[in-house]
Amino acid sequence: MERMSLMRWGLNNMAVILIAVPLLLAFLSILSKKHGYYALIFAMVFNVSFSLYVEKGLVSIGHFGPVGINLLVDQYSLIALWFMNGLFFLITMINCKSMKKLATVLLVLLAGLNGLILTHDLFNLFVFLEVTGIATYLLTTENNKPLSTFNYLVQGTVGSGLYLVGLMILYSMIGTLNMNQIYLGFITNQITPDKVVIPFMLMVIGLGVEAKLLPFNAWVKGVLEEAKPLSGTLITSVIAGVILLVFGRLLTVVMMISTAKVIVTVILFATIAGGEVAAFRSNKMREILLFSSVGQAGLIIYLFAQGLLMPAFLLILANMLSKFILFSIGAELAEKEGDALENLRGIFKHNKLLGVSFTIAALSVSGLPIFFGFIVKLNILFGLFNANDLITPMLLLAVSLVEGVYFIRLIVQLWNGDIEAKISNRLLIVSTLAVALGLVVLGVWSQPLTDLMSNINLDMLHILQGGTV
Amino acid sequence: MISVEYLILGTVLSAILTYFVSLFNRKLASALVILVSSIVFGIYTYSGYSGSLSAVVELMPNFGYFKVTELGLFFTTIVTFIIAMVSFFHPLYSERYAHPHAFQFLYLLVLAGVIGVFNTNNFITLFVFFEIVVWASMFLVPMSKGVKPTITYFVFSTVGSFSLLYAILYMAYGFGSTDIDYVLTNLTGTPALIVYVLLAVAAFAKLGAYPFFTWLPDVLGETPDPVSALMSGGIEKLGAFIAVLGLVRIAPTTSYFVAVGVPWQNYIIGLLAGVTIVAGTFMAIRQDDAKRLLAYSSAANGGYILLALTVGNTVGFTAGLFHIFAHAAASTAAFLAIAVVSYRTKTSKISELGGMIHHMPITYVVYLSAIISMAGIPPMGGFISKWLIFQTLIQNNMIFLAIAAFMGSIGSFLYVFRILAGLFLGQKLPKYKDVKEAPILMLVPMILLTILSVVSGVVPTYFLTWIARVTTSLGYPALATSDLQIVGFNGVLDAPMIALVFGVGVFIIFILFLIFPKSRKVGLMDTYTAGEFIYTEELLHYSADFYAPLERLYREEPFVRKIYASIRSKIMELGDFVRYYFFTNKPEVTVFWIVVVLLIVVWGGIL
Repeated sequence: MERMSLMRWGLNNMAVILIAVPLLLAFLSILSKKHGYYALIFAMVFNVSFSLYVEKGLVSIGHFGPVGINLLVDQYSLIALWFMNGLFFLITMINCKSMKKLATVLLVLLAGLNGLILTHDLFNLFVFLEVTGIATYLLTTENNKPLSTFNYLVQGTVGSGLYLVGLMILYSMIGTLNMNQIYLGFITNQITPDKVVIPFMLMVIGLGVEAKLLPFNAWVKGVLEEAKPLSGTLITSVIAGVILLVFGRLLTVVMMISTAKVIVTVILFATIAGGEVAAFRSNKMREILLFSSVGQAGLIIYLFAQGLLMPAFLLILANMLSKFILFSIGAELAEKEGDALENLRGIFKHNKLLGVSFTIAALSVSGLPIFFGFIVKLNILFGLFNANDLITPMLLLAVSLVEGVYFIRLIVQLWNGDIEAKISNRLLIVSTLAVALGLVVLGVWSQPLTDLMSNINLDMLHILQGGTV
Repeated sequence: MISVEYLILGTVLSAILTYFVSLFNRKLASALVILVSSIVFGIYTYSGYSGSLSAVVELMPNFGYFKVTELGLFFTTIVTFIIAMVSFFHPLYSERYAHPHAFQFLYLLVLAGVIGVFNTNNFITLFVFFEIVVWASMFLVPMSKGVKPTITYFVFSTVGSFSLLYAILYMAYGFGSTDIDYVLTNLTGTPALIVYVLLAVAAFAKLGAYPFFTWLPDVLGETPDPVSALMSGGIEKLGAFIAVLGLVRIAPTTSYFVAVGVPWQNYIIGLLAGVTIVAGTFMAIRQDDAKRLLAYSSAANGGYILLALTVGNTVGFTAGLFHIFAHAAASTAAFLAIAVVSYRTKTSKISELGGMIHHMPITYVVYLSAIISMAGIPPMGGFISKWLIFQTLIQNNMIFLAIAAFMGSIGSFLYVFRILAGLFLGQKLPKYKDVKEAPILMLVPMILLTILSVVSGVVPTYFLTWIARVTTSLGYPALATSDLQIVGFNGVLDAPMIALVFGVGVFIIFILFLIFPKSRKVGLMDTYTAGEFIYTEELLHYSADFYAPLERLYREEPFVRKIYASIRSKIMELGDFVRYYFFTNKPEVTVFWIVVVLLIVVWGGIL
């Protein structure tokens, strides 16, 4: 334990400034609203470049019992940092008109998201969850739908309240909130999993609200069905990805919920199936995308719960990339011509490049080869088979068929028809096309990424067992 | 050195090139597609059969694992040939597509995918290219009409490919390998049965056999005409390839029950193939749209292929492969002939046409030869394969299935005649009086395919030697032939002699036709109507309700359409349910659900 809390005070080991810089700039930007815009750009550029530079390691700040700050940079959080900061930068720059008003909020959000990825103790997780949550509530005010934002606020607060209750019970039971110590407690049998199932389930439900698990996710529809490109894309791509990454780390490292497996599995399957059938039923652009992301979230958490870390991680990354393309283009089209698909028929005829990116992303989500989604799908299915699970692959394939149908229906409608409208956001066209090409490259040649990830599982456990990073 | 990899990459690169050429000059791009697909066919067949085609992978490590086999050569030769033939229609047809540039690109992508599917020894590679063919061809479907046929095609293809994927994963799970030869030869017991069924489902879905055959008419009837030809003659054969992997290479599987000399699972597959033949034929009879009619007939012919492959002996296997070839040539020719008619008249409805023989004699001959080959009438290739199928069915005492096969053959006369009489013969409507014969470019592939159909029916032994290379490579002895005759179980088939007799008969009738006085041509309005005024002459067309008495006996395919519609509406209802009960605008509902789950958790914890 001592070795882990030691840290080398080099700049490259100061993961904390990924959080501190945007947070500081957020406070400063309040003082001068005019310059908030520049502060935001600076923070984003700084985070993107620093996340490439930051080194692996465990950073502990302060040793005051339960609320000391622990940040962990391992392979998992490192890859997550690259993708998250990169996509955050892209999404914000594409929508630079609407971002100017929201610079402070976006800075807070950036700090919160980096914190969520890096944090390694349950209390700070709560803090960053609240920071991210508040920023997201404020972000949704952009949609001018106060009722939905209020609903989201209420449900999000109930969720984080439950998480906090779980946290308190847990602390009173085992006396620590440090993930390392909890993990070591499990390994050395000092903590019995049966005892802590209730607090962990409270935390699962609390996080489930943000992660869009089925009975707790009513806010999703209101917030996203008419979301503007900026907030919608951030929520479906970046924020959803980060919450799922956090969920994954918790499920892999600390949450022993094996005794509650039945209820969790029911919730997750309900989420997968519910999201997909609801999307199948819909014929509105943003609604289809939001329901689809609900289904994907359920699948990802199911994979984490099964211990399939790498397929789940790959799926998160694939979703972050493809949802970025789908939602930023989809919301832009819907803002222009309305959500109903009959108003969008044939719109890609005049927006060919956007159409190509959108099609690639949709085919990737449907799991068709030569796109990244196919590699992910194979990884998932192989993972499930290797875990001797022959039934779930069948269910997943059936759900995946439903998913394929509504995505194909969507694409074909968008390509064939006679709506004439032109979208001329150059940055949107270029960046979505670049990401789409990335999906193709990763689909044909995924070796570099899978190599990077091959030791993720060991990496995390290795550090926790006291090894050097 | 030519390798499979270079051929695939070359095709993909030329697909991309074609797209950009098409942006500047559409005709040039179409010509490029003809050139590329013909060259790929030529190079592949030449180097493949001369043994110089290499399977080495240099540029795409970990992506493709290739192997040139006799079975792969057979399938690739047929399908690339069909693709090359259909491509001749692009220059004139492409202006009718919604996305002419993308069409050329996707068409060549299908070609690349096809080469990959057939020339691999790895299941994952096979699946990857299979799916590439599926989605590339799927985007060809909506080039002329709406969304629905595309979805239908996607759903049925995906049912097939997911069944295939599950089988692949199951085998990889059991053997730790995805090597096709290794896995298929080592499968035994229950796993063999499971894989057999899964591959059969995949083959049925792709080939359009009962209960999946509704997609054929729904898709082929609505796609652009050349795409229908491509699907029926080419892409559908992917299903036949999977059928060979599953039905021939795994079977005979061990079984507890034996039905009529074959394991029960083989018999059930055979039975479903029989249902496909009968249902496909009867549904074809009542179609008014020529393309839908041919699509049902395609399904019925898929049934013959599956039936032949399930029997599990040399004659059956040979018959199946011969029928794959004969049907590819004939159905492509038939679809192309209909494509010509609809290119000139903008319709393929039989009751809206008639008398086309006066304008399109060559198209008529092409269509006639194609359709009598599909119906199994000498001297066409289709006759040879059907003769072999009957031989093997009777030899194996599969009388019930033989009856189904005979019924299909007899029924096919009815639908053959429907198009013949309604579309090509009979009276022509005044509005088509200026219709012309097809342009030369379209006639070329049709004539080539017709020659192929005739030659394979007149001297089948050459083609049987070709097929024997495949059967012997998979451990089945070559079919017995002597000189130009085929030796069956209960007799000898002398195809050249039959052709000669047939030719003499045709010649005599032709002489009689010249000698006897010509028939008088009568206009459609030149008729006795008992004092009634005629407003719409179409109603007087004699091909409207052609088989009315027969059509009254049945309406649609047994069961399946209703089941598919009900599955779809159940998913819709479930979607409504989820949206109504979970995605509300009331936060209290969410809180309610949270409390419910919490109660369950706490209760479970206490218990």
